[in-house]
Amino acid sequence: MNRVRALAVRIARTFRHDRRTLGLLVITPLVVMILIGYMVGDSGKEPLRVGVVTPPPSPGGGAAPALVFAQALRQQAGLSVADVSDADAGRAQVEGGELDGLIVTEAGPPGSSSALPPVTVVVPGVDVQVESPIVRAASLASAIAQGTPVNGDVPGLVVERVTLRENVRPTTISYAAPAMITVFAFLFTFMLTSVSFLRERQSGTLERLLASPIRTQEILGGYMLGFLPFAMIQALIVLGYATLVLHAQVSGPVSLVFAVLILLVLGVVNLGVALSFEARNELQVIQFIPLVLLPQVFLSGLFWPVRTLWPPLQWLAKLFPMTYAVRALREVMLAGVGLSAIAGELAALAVFALAMMGFGVAALRRLRA
Amino acid sequence: MNGVAIHAEALTKSFGRTHALDGLTLEVRTGEILGLIGPNGAGKSTFIRAIAGLVAPDAGDISVLGQRPGRAVAASLGYMTQSAALYDDLSVRENIAFFGRVYGVSSTDARQRGEELLALLHLTDKIDRPVHELSGGQQQLANLACAMVHAPPVLLLDEPTVGIDPELRQHLWREFATLRDAGTTILVTTHVMDEADRCDRIAFVADGRVLDVGAADELRARAGVDTVEGAFLRLRGEGGA
Repeated sequence: MNRVRALAVRIARTFRHDRRTLGLLVITPLVVMILIGYMVGDSGKEPLRVGVVTPPPSPGGGAAPALVFAQALRQQAGLSVADVSDADAGRAQVEGGELDGLIVTEAGPPGSSSALPPVTVVVPGVDVQVESPIVRAASLASAIAQGTPVNGDVPGLVVERVTLRENVRPTTISYAAPAMITVFAFLFTFMLTSVSFLRERQSGTLERLLASPIRTQEILGGYMLGFLPFAMIQALIVLGYATLVLHAQVSGPVSLVFAVLILLVLGVVNLGVALSFEARNELQVIQFIPLVLLPQVFLSGLFWPVRTLWPPLQWLAKLFPMTYAVRALREVMLAGVGLSAIAGELAALAVFALAMMGFGVAALRRLRA
Repeated sequence: MNGVAIHAEALTKSFGRTHALDGLTLEVRTGEILGLIGPNGAGKSTFIRAIAGLVAPDAGDISVLGQRPGRAVAASLGYMTQSAALYDDLSVRENIAFFGRVYGVSSTDARQRGEELLALLHLTDKIDRPVHELSGGQQQLANLACAMVHAPPVLLLDEPTVGIDPELRQHLWREFATLRDAGTTILVTTHVMDEADRCDRIAFVADGRVLDVGAADELRARAGVDTVEGAFLRLRGEGGA
């Protein structure tokens, strides 16, 4: 028993001397719990922007149910409803991203003041996180307008997914695949580079490299070139399994999927190198993983649309590479867009990669006289 | 002697409140073996690291082969670290090839040179073994081979003989002498006093300063004692009469 106690005391002492690990032990769960609490809670979210097209009041009273519907829609939580004059203009706004969704109502035949003709819900289609709450709100409003029980089946809802080639709701796996591929690529690359670079520092091989004629950019270039193929092999496995076995959808060119991943991985290699300088041992590096990964998983639009986040968190999400990678992969894999449609996301990922290279070079330069 | 390989003038360097170098002045001549002798924490490693361009002195001047330490002169230096700075999972051959490439040696030359060095260091039978399977002494030898793969004119050896058995240590010092005879300048640190006689000159280092420099015989005679250890202790004012 004495020996058991001696070991336990030794572990406690190690923690006491390793303030960073102790700090991360407390901070990481707090950060994660605060994020989860905020994410699953209903308050503090920005509404989704939804346009509604209502028919002009008609003499026969046919427009009345549509107006009741629009009224009910405005009372749904989580939406900010604005009037849109005509359906085509609204569709364009959904495609352009100015609106998250559009709901088009029509007047029924004169005299049929209680029947609501089918309501069309127009959504981008690439983002189930946006689609689900809008469709849910529309069916609730439709139930209210028709006086049917709210929990019953609501007929007469047509969903139109404008950016998809075919108006078929992608399977759950198709929605999930872009996020899975991104998270895998990020996690794998970050873990491996940060731990290997820490080892390079601890074993003295980094010191030996720095005493050689090698340039700091060459060290980082070697790390990028070295880890990239392995990250890509892994991405190929995840993508291959998702598409061939799970039948996830890849509508756009596979080369674009890899272009996104290459830029992401190049940035993450440098992030791993730069952050490994902040860690004294492998325990500390491993604890960086949840701290770096989880906020991105929560905030980058994997589970909750970035648009509905509290604005400061939206700014934070805009700094995360995963936000751009997931968005670009969804566009390529679900909507099947080409290079020009995701040029912005690719540029953001390139900026991230360059910024991280800057951090990596700066961190390495400090070690040379 | 001919030229000056390394010149250091009044180097100071502090890490927090520790003065690792405190006015260290030393000249290493071309083609000599100069031994830095002193206790742990005397500043020997910091001095070597300053020459290798890994530590920027707070004050003082330092030049290596007429240049400031840094990338430009790095290829002319072979730097052997105190602990075996090798890639554990790679074989000895792969480690040597890697450091050869880093120093700009072609892979053919690196392979050939690696085989020669390992034969010299009696390590040929371990050439394809991963480094983590080697004993501490064998790792040190592989470490040395990596520092010499590019045939540098100046070798910086930080405690090269730690953990190496006496027989091999004798052999190593004979090799250092052979290299010196071929024109290589060797700056070597040790805290084993009996290695002092193997050096052409030795510098006693303590508290970040050079206490005295000279051939072992001179230092002993100057101190009026018959051991290097005694001479060192006398200089520090710790020895007896």
